Amino acid sequence: MGSSNGSHQPDSISYQVPSTTRKLNLMNFTVNGKSVSPEVEPQMPLLWVLRDTLNLTGTKFGCGVASCAACTVHQDGQPIRSCVTPVASVAGANIKTIESLGTPEKPHPLQLAWIAEQVPQCGYCQSGMLMAAAALLERKPKPTDADIDEAMTNLCRCGTYQRVRAAIHRAAGALV
Amino acid sequence: MKRRNLILSGLGITGALIVGWGVLPTRSRIGKPGNMLPTEGEVALNGWIKIAKDGGVVLAMHRSDMGQGIHNALSVLVAEELDVPLKQIRLEQAGHDAIYGNVAMFVGTLPFHPMQSEGVDKPFAVQSGQWIVGKVARELGVNATGGSSSVKDAWEHLRMAAATTKASLCLAAADLWKVPLGEVKVKDGVISHASGKSAHFGEFANGAAAQTPQNVTLKDRKDWSLIGKPTARADVPSKTDGTAVFGMDVRLPNMLFASVVQAPKMGGTLTSFDAKEALALPGVLKCIQLASEAGSAPGFAVLAKTTWHAKQAADKVKAQWAQRAEGAIDTKRIESELKDKLKTEKGFTFHERGDAAKAESNAARVIEAQYKAPYLAHATMEPMNCTVQFKGGSIEIWAPTQVPGLARATAAKVANVSEDKVKVNVTLLGGGFGRRLETDVVAQATQVAMAADGVPIQLVWSREEDMTHDFYRPMHVAQLSAALNAKGEVESLRIKSAGDAISPRWISRVLPALSGPFDAPDKTTAEGLFDLPYGFANQHMAHVSTRMGVPIGFWRSVGHSHNAFFSESFIDELAFETKQDPLAFRLSLLKEAPRYAAVLKLAAEKAKWGQALPVGHAHGLALHQSFGSIVAQVAEVSLQGGTPRVHCVVCAIDCGTVVNPDTVAQQVESSVNFALSAALFGNIDIQDGVVQQTNFTNYPLVQMAQSPAVETWIVPSTHSPEGVGEPGVPPLAPAVANALFKLTGQRMRSLPFKA
Repeated sequence: MGSSNGSHQPDSISYQVPSTTRKLNLMNFTVNGKSVSPEVEPQMPLLWVLRDTLNLTGTKFGCGVASCAACTVHQDGQPIRSCVTPVASVAGANIKTIESLGTPEKPHPLQLAWIAEQVPQCGYCQSGMLMAAAALLERKPKPTDADIDEAMTNLCRCGTYQRVRAAIHRAAGALV
Repeated sequence: MKRRNLILSGLGITGALIVGWGVLPTRSRIGKPGNMLPTEGEVALNGWIKIAKDGGVVLAMHRSDMGQGIHNALSVLVAEELDVPLKQIRLEQAGHDAIYGNVAMFVGTLPFHPMQSEGVDKPFAVQSGQWIVGKVARELGVNATGGSSSVKDAWEHLRMAAATTKASLCLAAADLWKVPLGEVKVKDGVISHASGKSAHFGEFANGAAAQTPQNVTLKDRKDWSLIGKPTARADVPSKTDGTAVFGMDVRLPNMLFASVVQAPKMGGTLTSFDAKEALALPGVLKCIQLASEAGSAPGFAVLAKTTWHAKQAADKVKAQWAQRAEGAIDTKRIESELKDKLKTEKGFTFHERGDAAKAESNAARVIEAQYKAPYLAHATMEPMNCTVQFKGGSIEIWAPTQVPGLARATAAKVANVSEDKVKVNVTLLGGGFGRRLETDVVAQATQVAMAADGVPIQLVWSREEDMTHDFYRPMHVAQLSAALNAKGEVESLRIKSAGDAISPRWISRVLPALSGPFDAPDKTTAEGLFDLPYGFANQHMAHVSTRMGVPIGFWRSVGHSHNAFFSESFIDELAFETKQDPLAFRLSLLKEAPRYAAVLKLAAEKAKWGQALPVGHAHGLALHQSFGSIVAQVAEVSLQGGTPRVHCVVCAIDCGTVVNPDTVAQQVESSVNFALSAALFGNIDIQDGVVQQTNFTNYPLVQMAQSPAVETWIVPSTHSPEGVGEPGVPPLAPAVANALFKLTGQRMRSLPFKA
């Protein structure tokens, strides 16, 4: 993980961040079990705090308007679209991103199912798919096809949808 | 139009520009060890393969993976001939030597009828055309991932590079062990001898470099253990834990982020801008004017400490834009102009058989229909982006690109440095579909980097910029007609279409030195119309090429994407009008095309064509060849509240020899969904020069709930491999349209089905 103080002041460049910088709130929240306090504007979307300030690039930018769900992360276990979530609104919350869905030693059953079903193609939307699916399984350990249709509104331009469905069912079976 | 010019049209080359190619030596595509990056502990044995100390095999990867699984396929070819486990193949980005160019993609642009251009008994014109363009493409060495050509292109030389490597290693082992070569065995990456001696490849790498094996042969297909079997993709685990690095995921020390605003009206220019308010925002460093390069729209970029800060500030810049001199572009007007041109212009004849005009004048009845397809955006999930550092006169680029060599050329031109001062790192691509055959974003990022005092910058487009500044699939209209004789039999098929030619516009952007003053006939305009397999006695297919001013580019399956909708819907109309079953009608016209007939029969059989379906459901079918592969699809469709719902698509494909059948299935599934989004929703409107669709909210894609089940059936084949990434796209729209006709009695002649 990169620097968590939000400073990207370059050292080899003469510019200064303008002195008119507004007083920034120090936000405290937890990302993947670690406490962070990025020095950023309260209205900055969580997505860009994760990607550009904390260098957690597994969460993707796709649309910026909560339409594609590539930016899905968990806030206290609930799936949220981080591209439209002001960072101030997650103060004190536990944020979980794709980087901590599983570990190399103990992958999440969905990650194993994703590999078994060879789900990803380009892979860009898959972080969001997996986080949405993980939240679904938390809520409904044995989802029906209708549950999957309802919960999985993520967009995938490669059309991996039916493999995503198969992988969710496979993981649900493994969660017995 | 002389035949010679037509042949060269595939490359957009006029005769004068190819002076010189004939005297250059023929390059062996196995290449030289010096083509590969020298690395401590690795020995290069040719331009493709290095052997590492630990016995690992390093493969020069020259193709970009945008989801199509090419990194798997090319690794399989090498692992097969080398007899190493697939997981032992490591990838290293290939350099810029011409051996890494894509010859098959350029040969594929030749407008020859497939019935003439496949097999060994090709007419002289076809043979010589393929030879000339192949020769030119070899000299150009344009490294491009596109045209569903990567396996086709690599098939012979990559396997030969691996077989030659194995032969060298065996010679080295025989020398070292002083045993006859014929007694040296290779299995699972281990070389052994009956005496009990055995070691991995790393032990023989240096010895192998001194060997020159003779008479190397490729494995017989009966001995293949990997080719043709499903293998797991090595990139999948990293795409499930967030570690896969796409262009937007590149992170460098001290890097800054840029957001762009481009001329909102198509063809417009930036006259002035006031960035005072923007620069006063926190974390904002600079506003940089962007000149139009490599087809990019003019505009400006704001540089800031995060992408969000850059975007917030870019929105605050007060810019003045000028309209293009020719007046505002409007898609409604383009549509009516195209329809006028169908009436008033003859166009270029791509295919002729018998006398279709005479057949119509003698006909008992002529059936006519007009079809239309709109402009479309690529909408890759990863928006356009590029990371560039310009420091000490050198440029380093990190880009999700389908064309690393052209990206290098663009950056060098923009920064006025020589190409050897530019290093290109190809990341994973979050979708490509042809959009990343362009280098407009590389040109913009280079301009920003030049203003960033040596700091690396990452330029990212908003989704809105991405949707409104694409190189669109061009709008096309087509007039189709058929003559029926007194017995009700179809005597002729005549097709004329109109729309912009793609190749000459692309070449003018990325290979400007090859761009001529006039457009030669471009296969992309007529593919899927002139090359139909049906045996109508009289045929005439022509295209009227236009230049409507909309930036256009290659969109997955290119001309086939709309032309298959025109041709396969009209074929269905003819079946209905002659009171024949759509399957039987097509089969009756495929007597000279057994491969096509076999594919169609397989899809129909697997879909249980003709058997009862649930009430309110109907089957529609379509058959289409593109990129050398023949695909038939049977779509099961119903209407839910007036909206088409595609439940299932059964696909049969003949793509020649298959490297990984699971990749073929993935690409067919992908193509069906990609094409279904276009068929149901895909539409780009331009009003007063402004693209009206801005995000997924008004350019929707199919979601899980609308996504059909897809079955893929592969026709076993011993032909050479053909394309897989695109051929599943074209038949989907007509298959669905033909099913909708059965449900409603309404013929869908315009895409999308639901505006």
